Amino acid sequence: MKVTPENVRDFILQGLACEHIHVDGDGRHFAAVIVSSEFEGKGMLQRHKQVYQALGDRMEKIHALSMQTLTPAQWADNH
Amino acid sequence: MDEKQIALENIKKTVTGNPVVLYMKGTPQFPQCGFSGRAAQVLKACGVTDYVAVNVLEDQGAYDYLKFYADFPTFPQCYIRGELIGGSDIMLAMYEQGELQGLVQQATAAR
Repeated sequence: MKVTPENVRDFILQGLACEHIHVDGDGRHFAAVIVSSEFEGKGMLQRHKQVYQALGDRMEKIHALSMQTLTPAQWADNH
Repeated sequence: MDEKQIALENIKKTVTGNPVVLYMKGTPQFPQCGFSGRAAQVLKACGVTDYVAVNVLEDQGAYDYLKFYADFPTFPQCYIRGELIGGSDIMLAMYEQGELQGLVQQATAAR
């Protein structure tokens, strides 16, 4: 079964509280903008690990996930 | 030692024994995945040419078990002095912020 960007968004949301999330993708390659206060005080590597942890085994269905991980304050600065 | 322990031991030797290591799909010249190609490009842009590139498509142990080494499930993965830096998104972001250049240059110069 093909994984949709909506699936990826829901997978992440099941494991990580997000203020905002947007996922694009073609079924194999996905790109996500993820805004969560859980990222506060964490470096980029730790943030990516938090997202991978939220995805858990479901990551195996996803060939590649590119992500921008922002805190709400960083997100506000970008908009 | 079982297969997993042997693979993790090999990974440890590789990342701690070399200043800069890139685990990727394919080679820097012929990457087999867009993200791996981008990671190799970033290192090239940092001016590092003599890093160790491990093609995980030809290293079954790394392919199967690298995800457990630093608890990071995707390829590529870049290590500097034994520490996981991240995948291509993080490498590119650190390059754009001007951080990665110094890290890799220090690591390769100190050898």
